[in-house]
Amino acid sequence: MSAHSILSVERLEKRYGDVHVLKDINVAMQPGDFLVLVGPSGCGKSTLLGCIAGLSDVTSGTIRIAGEDRTHAEPASRDIAMVFQSYALFPNMTVGRNIGFGLEVRKVSDGERDAKVREVAEMLKISHLLERKPAELSGGQRQRVAMGRALVREPKLFLFDEPLSNLDAKLRVTMRTEIKRMHQATGASIIYVTHDQIEAMTLATRIVVMKDGVVQQIGTPKEIYDTPVNTFVADFMGAPAMNLMPAKVSRQDGAIRIEIATAGGQPLVLTDYGNAPTLLPENPADLIVGLRPEAITDNDQADGRQIQRADCLLDVVEPAGADTYAVITLGGTEAIARLSGDATVTAGEIVPLSFNLSKISYFDPHSGKRL
Amino acid sequence: MFGRRQIREKWMLLVPAMAVLGVITLAPLVNTLWLSFTDAKITAIATPVNLIGLENYVYALTDTDFQDALWRTLYFTGVSVGLEVALGIAIALLLNQEFRGRTLLRALIILPWAVPTIVNAVAWRLIYHPEYGALNSLLFQLGFISSYQSWIGSPALALNMVILADVWKNFPLVVYVALAALQTVPGDLLKAAAIEGAGPWKRFCAITLPWIAGPLLVVVVLRTIEAFRVFDIVYAMTGGGPADSTKTASFYVYQEYFNYLRSGSGASYAVLIAGISAVLILAYYAAARRQDQGGRA
Amino acid sequence: MRRKPLHSVLLYLAALAVALFTTAPLIWLALMSISAPADLTEVPLRWIPSEVDFSRYQALFDLESGAGERFLSALRNSVLVAGAATALALLLAVPAAYSFSRRRAPMVLLFAFLATIMMPPITYVLPLYTAFSGLGLLNSKVTLVIVYTAMLLPFAIWLMKANIDVLPVEVEQAAFMEGASTSFTLRVVVLPLALPAIAATAMLSFLVAWDEFFYALIFTNDLTAKTLPVAIADFAAGRVTDYGVIASVGVMATLPPALLAICFQKFIVSGLVAGSVKG
Repeated sequence: MSAHSILSVERLEKRYGDVHVLKDINVAMQPGDFLVLVGPSGCGKSTLLGCIAGLSDVTSGTIRIAGEDRTHAEPASRDIAMVFQSYALFPNMTVGRNIGFGLEVRKVSDGERDAKVREVAEMLKISHLLERKPAELSGGQRQRVAMGRALVREPKLFLFDEPLSNLDAKLRVTMRTEIKRMHQATGASIIYVTHDQIEAMTLATRIVVMKDGVVQQIGTPKEIYDTPVNTFVADFMGAPAMNLMPAKVSRQDGAIRIEIATAGGQPLVLTDYGNAPTLLPENPADLIVGLRPEAITDNDQADGRQIQRADCLLDVVEPAGADTYAVITLGGTEAIARLSGDATVTAGEIVPLSFNLSKISYFDPHSGKRL
Repeated sequence: MFGRRQIREKWMLLVPAMAVLGVITLAPLVNTLWLSFTDAKITAIATPVNLIGLENYVYALTDTDFQDALWRTLYFTGVSVGLEVALGIAIALLLNQEFRGRTLLRALIILPWAVPTIVNAVAWRLIYHPEYGALNSLLFQLGFISSYQSWIGSPALALNMVILADVWKNFPLVVYVALAALQTVPGDLLKAAAIEGAGPWKRFCAITLPWIAGPLLVVVVLRTIEAFRVFDIVYAMTGGGPADSTKTASFYVYQEYFNYLRSGSGASYAVLIAGISAVLILAYYAAARRQDQGGRA
Repeated sequence: MRRKPLHSVLLYLAALAVALFTTAPLIWLALMSISAPADLTEVPLRWIPSEVDFSRYQALFDLESGAGERFLSALRNSVLVAGAATALALLLAVPAAYSFSRRRAPMVLLFAFLATIMMPPITYVLPLYTAFSGLGLLNSKVTLVIVYTAMLLPFAIWLMKANIDVLPVEVEQAAFMEGASTSFTLRVVVLPLALPAIAATAMLSFLVAWDEFFYALIFTNDLTAKTLPVAIADFAAGRVTDYGVIASVGVMATLPPALLAICFQKFIVSGLVAGSVKG
């Protein structure tokens, strides 16, 4: 663990009675990181955040903040601030007092507190709301107040617990941008919990994907997207999800031959000329291959050995404006191809598509692990 | 957030309440238990107190006067709670119908509950007055009785008259609990039963009553516990008479303590009463727990 | 669904009967209190007073009259004792309720607390009497306040706990994250949110204390500490020839709780129903 970590979680375990909620969690984060904990509901991400915040005790393991062991410290002494999903504003206090609450508790002088509150309110564009009560605010405004309350103390670490999930879709996008802008402006260290993989991809500098209390993968958004460590991450991150297709894979003349069953009977045969993963079996084997929808397309301008064309039967066509998604049956499952927005194809048509094998992933069909 | 500080806080927040309850209820309870094994008396000058083992209990359990008081208390408890429940359900069913003035009637029902117990006792004592009481006058003028009755002056009637007054004060609680429960009975279920040809009585027995039975059971046990302690109304209405016909268990112990000044003997009666109450209290928790779980299921 | 006319008639008759049963004893009490003494001793009774006579109420509020002195001192004692006990009980109940609700204090303890008020007071009274007598605290309002506080406490804790349970826990967590201590959070964050519950609990507690008779009967013996219920029992037991006086005291003692009950009916009924049904 680096001495410069703003946060390091080591071998963290958490049980509620017989339920093992967090299993051997190891996460480190550098100052200025925007770390996103993402996973389906019940994966333990909010519990992990609660442990980091000090709102929930840990069964074993260590939590260090700025190098110091804070595993059993009170929330107040961890020098962190948190933005809650429900905003958790104090309903009986004005916006100004809400924002200044932490300073009030710390007995900061009225003048200084006032100045700081105003400064933060200015930045979040809520100066005109300082005298209002939370009940009189819109969802987006409450969100800003909650952020203001966290920002005003300039803590070492910010925790966000699904802060956008109570907003409508449009506001969510706006606030997402606001949070990103805030991060860029302040350089704050942020841990952000969400179940929305788009939020994770757009906001994070590093992503932690969790499932069933276990960390699946930690990496930059690009690493997670391009080289998911298992089929769960491949499926969970990215929309639409990565196509995971059963295929017969064999080594052939230094390349990899991939044979995928199609509905037509004639299998689709592709050849991957890239470096074979070290774990790829020597003998022909049934594996899962993963290709992102944008790797199956009608308009790949690039050329080369890794771009291979084949005729495919389109089962369903779904125009989505900028893109057109087409469903094709490959390896007995539905695969999605991402065609250009003005493609004039219809369901039932047989269309030549190009398969880009430069970013293909191979997974073990039993363990789901990346080879 | 259940670190050491939270555990310490848990107890710190509780300690003041525990201290008050410990001193005002737990300590006296233990003391009463101890007294019950002694020959203690209430005296102006300190006298030595001797442990006499189970003697008080042997006496108490063979004391036919005390047994009578206990049976009287059980009769009072059973009849008043029974009447309160019957009346409470009937009135709740009525208030669950739609009619003009329903809101007003629902509001009026709380009035008897708000009347202080002692005022209730005194008011009914005036109503029962053998010469100038409203009950005699009303029944006489309506032709129901040909001569004035001595309602609480006659040993045969007195306890029942006390019960009537007690029921009048306490039925509102049952009404409100039953009404709250009735409002959760699904209307579709009743409509379906009506379509199947079930009459009102059949619908009540087959659907409504089972549906409201849980909360009712809890309030019945609670009222039983309260009725079993009955003292105030007896004290203010009849003073236990005539001819001890309204002397309830609590009243009996009160006299043993403060009229005959036999604290040791009185304490043994008190412990016996507490034992019966404890059984009732356990029944209450069982009923409440069943209701709580049923509510969640 | 239209009702048959007969059904409607029966319904309204039943409603009328219930209304009469509920209010008649109270109306009669009020009528007695303003009837001329002679009207009250006619046989059979004269139901409508021949003249409206408020003299008893005048006497009750006149310190110089014997009845007035007894009534006014009892009223003062009742207000002080019930008020102080309610305030004390809430002061102790709120932290305890918070402990049960948010600090995982064992529920068995709360059930034990509640069991103490379900026990007949006769099981506590003698040792208390002896102890207070030893301390020279008999016939003192302070004694009643202490005993009533203990009597109100379990129910107040229970009611407050049920209400704190439904407050959003995240708001408290936010306060802790901002560095507030538990006592600060309780005072500044929880209490304002729980204010309606505190008001309801206070009202119910006050009414219970106002109604209490047994301990007051045993622990008090003159005007310095006797509360209204004891005073009323005295009025009724004494050789009063004018029943209207007793009735007027009864009306006065009923007015405060009745007004509270009518004005805050929703509060009180929901507290009662919750308090008697949930375990």
